[in-house]
Amino acid sequence: MLEIILYSLIIGAVGGGCIAAGAARMFHAPEVQAMGSFRTLGEMNACNGDPIAHFSFGLGFFFSSAASAVAAGALTQDVFHRIVTNWGAAVLLLKNRNMEETVWNPRKMMLAGSAVGAVVVVFLNTMSQLIPEKLSLIAKNVLTPATGWLINPVMPAIFWLAAVDAGKVVGIWGTVLGGVSALISGNAVPGIVLGILIGKSAEENGYKSRMVQILIGIVVIMFVAIAYFRGFFGKFVIGS
Amino acid sequence: MEKRTFSEKFDAFMMKDNTFILLVMGAAASIFAGTYLFVKFGTGAFNEISIVAMLTDGMSSGDYAAAAGFAAGFLIARILEGPLVGLMDIGGSLMTGVGIGIPAVFLSMGWKFPFSNFFAALLVGAVIGIVIGVVLIIIRKVVPEGMTVGGTSIMMGAGNAVGRYLAPLIVVAATQYNVFAGIGAIVGAAIFYKWGKEMTGGAILGAMILGAIFL
Repeated sequence: MLEIILYSLIIGAVGGGCIAAGAARMFHAPEVQAMGSFRTLGEMNACNGDPIAHFSFGLGFFFSSAASAVAAGALTQDVFHRIVTNWGAAVLLLKNRNMEETVWNPRKMMLAGSAVGAVVVVFLNTMSQLIPEKLSLIAKNVLTPATGWLINPVMPAIFWLAAVDAGKVVGIWGTVLGGVSALISGNAVPGIVLGILIGKSAEENGYKSRMVQILIGIVVIMFVAIAYFRGFFGKFVIGS
Repeated sequence: MEKRTFSEKFDAFMMKDNTFILLVMGAAASIFAGTYLFVKFGTGAFNEISIVAMLTDGMSSGDYAAAAGFAAGFLIARILEGPLVGLMDIGGSLMTGVGIGIPAVFLSMGWKFPFSNFFAALLVGAVIGIVIGVVLIIIRKVVPEGMTVGGTSIMMGAGNAVGRYLAPLIVVAATQYNVFAGIGAIVGAAIFYKWGKEMTGGAILGAMILGAIFL
């Protein structure tokens, strides 16, 4: 238990600080390379420098993160994406309502994010550990079949349809690579994801583009390697 | 010349392009360490249940192809896209790519060192972060303007849709597992839906609560 608290403290402080600083840099992108997400940027702008808005926005995600942590030990992406950034902003805005001097400042956001991150991650991880054995057994018995179905065949179907709906070029790349991936690795999703990536990039930049050629090269090598190591080529021998 | 205070110098440092590499390093280290925590203690992975499930699935079956391939796709896409728009999406690149995909690759290769102890995980994560940060800055400096990496919005859309499917699947799984867990899942999902919260959480919590009382 002590181990988990100590590790969570380090993880939360380091990750929260770095990501909050990256989020503050979002307000200066694209001149400065930032990290975060467009979603978060929009949401933080929508809160308009009001600490209460930032706090309650984060709180909503905190509850769903807590539920997910208790159920499956998955803290959700929202911990760093939304809770740390919004609560960090809320803490800073309490003292100074000027967004440019607080939320836009990577140094201040790093300090606030680091504190918030440490507290949130420790809390979520200890809470999920305090759950009695019986409860986690039930969660496991319910989650295992559900996530199994999700991974195969629900996810391949969703990604496949998304690729097909995105136009002929993407659809064909997705279909072919998805099928190949299902053949050699047993799951179509990796192939479809790469197919979408290649198809869309090819559509926008053309096959002459160096980047598209490199992408195709990487994918071909990857698939041949996977097929080789999984003994796929042996399946062609009739009667084996 | 005016003398600058430490804070001002630090502010300027935090806005430098190269400082980005340090930020990615810290973020990747902590996310990778979070996955270590999950592998070791069953809690702490920084991702949605549906994506973490791919890693757990690999851990029980020994087949990491789904997790590695899925997450690597996101990682590649986000690293290429990040420098072009000036904003790297941490969800796809770090949380899914570094948190799920790279651990899946290591585990499938049988490379145990990153998961041997916490500080090894932190160290390996930091190295991965540095590599990503450096690659990103190089792409940013080298790639001409006007290049685009397409497809991330399609992938995001499909990724979000996947999360939505989990709630009904959990209710179905709960009803098949046990009648009390099933009723709990139904009620929990309905209540969370009414509140406008993620139904997945409600379904699991409902199943756990009624299951705990009656089982």
